[in-house]
Amino acid sequence: MASKWRHLLAVLAIFGLFTAAACSSDDGGGVSGGYTIGLVTDTGKVDDKSFNQSAWEGAQNGAGNILGATASYIETEESKDYANNIQLFLDDGAKIIVTVGFGLGGATIEAAQANPDVLFIGVDQWQNEALPNLVGLMFPEANAGFMAGALAGMLTETNIVGAVLGTDLVPPVVFFKEGWENGARYTNPEVQTISTYHPGGLDVAFGDPEWGATTARQALDQGADIIFGAGGATGNGALIEVAGEAGALCVGVDQDQWFTVPEAHPCLVTSAMKLINIGVAHLIAEAYAGTMEGGNYFGEVGLAPFHDFDGVVTSEMRSTLEEVMAGLADGSINPMP
Amino acid sequence: MSRSTLRSVAVPLAAVILGLLIGALLIVSQGASPVTAYSSLIQGGLGDGDALLRTLQKATPLIFGGLAVAFAFKAGLFNIGGQGQLLVGAVFAAAVGFGVDGLPTFIHLPAALIAGALAGAIWGGIAGALKATTGAHEVIVTIMLNFVAGNLTDWLSANPWKDNSGNNIVARTPLVEDSATIPTLGAVPVGFLLAVITAIGCWMILERSTYGFEVRSVGQNRNAAHYAGIKVGWTMASTMAVAGTLAALGGAVESLGVDGRFEAGVNVGLGFEGITIALLARANPLGVIPAALLVGLMEAGASRMQFKAGVAPELIDVIQALILFFVAAPMIVRWLLRMRQGDSEQLRLGAGWGNS
Repeated sequence: MASKWRHLLAVLAIFGLFTAAACSSDDGGGVSGGYTIGLVTDTGKVDDKSFNQSAWEGAQNGAGNILGATASYIETEESKDYANNIQLFLDDGAKIIVTVGFGLGGATIEAAQANPDVLFIGVDQWQNEALPNLVGLMFPEANAGFMAGALAGMLTETNIVGAVLGTDLVPPVVFFKEGWENGARYTNPEVQTISTYHPGGLDVAFGDPEWGATTARQALDQGADIIFGAGGATGNGALIEVAGEAGALCVGVDQDQWFTVPEAHPCLVTSAMKLINIGVAHLIAEAYAGTMEGGNYFGEVGLAPFHDFDGVVTSEMRSTLEEVMAGLADGSINPMP
Repeated sequence: MSRSTLRSVAVPLAAVILGLLIGALLIVSQGASPVTAYSSLIQGGLGDGDALLRTLQKATPLIFGGLAVAFAFKAGLFNIGGQGQLLVGAVFAAAVGFGVDGLPTFIHLPAALIAGALAGAIWGGIAGALKATTGAHEVIVTIMLNFVAGNLTDWLSANPWKDNSGNNIVARTPLVEDSATIPTLGAVPVGFLLAVITAIGCWMILERSTYGFEVRSVGQNRNAAHYAGIKVGWTMASTMAVAGTLAALGGAVESLGVDGRFEAGVNVGLGFEGITIALLARANPLGVIPAALLVGLMEAGASRMQFKAGVAPELIDVIQALILFFVAAPMIVRWLLRMRQGDSEQLRLGAGWGNS
């Protein structure tokens, strides 16, 4: 047996040569020492071109504005690890912990209760009861939907606009939809709206691009010429379907989907954005300054650039949009009357 | 250790070492230190009581899932239905766990486990019965049943058994009663002990009982088994029911011991890892235990490795794939160990393909 193992040992030695150089270079790692800002993603990646990435950019910007602060992240592999991953940052002495997404809400509340000295920022986590050291970063989705709808009302030639949505179980989706319809009616009283929610549960409603495509196709067949896709992969499926229809337009959601769904370039006029990165960076600055208040904080929303459709959106439309945004900001326009 | 035992562990052991070494090269190529990475991986999986608990919790459903595949292998059947069997086990165990009130633990907990196990037995048994009576291939049927189980458990947890407390909008059941919760003794979850006992039980049945002999005979040569008077159809159907029970117990332990409820989406993929474990263990029920502990350790420590060494957690998946590659392609390892052909027992995977 010994001679057999000797052959293996020889192979091991070769590997050893490769790895030895790197082993000597650095040791320790981690983020211990200094002012640490930790971010725990939902079961997604920090480069997902969406939610998690936007929050991570915010955490980096927030850390960049604090002398000696460093930001680091943990990508959650499975939802059973939420609490463990938050605990890793706690054990390491993190001062601010950002948790991204509705799914981490429960684990974040428990960690905040157990660690009153650490400040927590929960993206898209509505706080029913305010804890002094936990703020939920929420967004006025109705305003974003209203802006997109107002633009759609002006752009539609058939006077029919469609929306393909994730489940109405999730309040932000409902806000997007109501805002979208009211915005379209605001600029175009003649407009008809065809809005459809995914009928499935939370676990499938945002991951069903086929349903999104089919539903978008139905809306197109009923005469809609601009369609709002709001619901993760389901909404993306709608955008891609619309892209295949000559002359039809589409509107993305959450991020500037020009970058996240390149297949939608032929139809994507704009996206109803939640500016997560700005919100996270702002709350980190507040947390560092000691002015962060527990409860809920509403971040900013806006429309993404028009990209290829810059020439389609006339200066009249732009000035109307500016009026709408001003009206939403000062409260003279109610997106969900 | 006898010479034959040494031979049977040589290939998996060498595969693990090679997988870790190639993983080390990948870590270096990411500009990180493999020493830091692996030491934080081990610390995250064994460093303290919490870490050990995480490892054992992760290993538990892997043991059950590995047994579900390994047991069916012995009869020449390829059980790809571990995911579906695990899901029905998880949801029915949770249903008895939260739906029944006022029973003492020694009745309530076994009842919940049995409910999950029965659901799994039916789920696996369907595939086995179809195989025995119509010749429908168990690979196809179990894959299809995975989808059925996924949708059924989604629906059950979103409709009749949904948790309506507070403002819950997630498809999940209420928390199981304390009397149906599987306890943890220090850093050792009782579910893990149950898994180890089950693995030993499987080994005893397969190696020391008449039924086990029949299962192995069917796996080695169906025609010879039939000629020898073994009821081949019944053996295949019952083997799949046993395999389903094993996978379902893994799901039941997740619901009753780890998650405290059934929630749609949180057990995704868990049932498929049983295939990895069974291959790594070379379909030996006792080998399933160390194989599951190894993979459980890597999964438990992955977050800490990512955190301390800046290594993407996907590396763990790559290492697992490499280990599997070397186990499944033993020629490479044999060349490295200069073993003779036949020194290590070949793992028969293909008995179920084509020759139904």
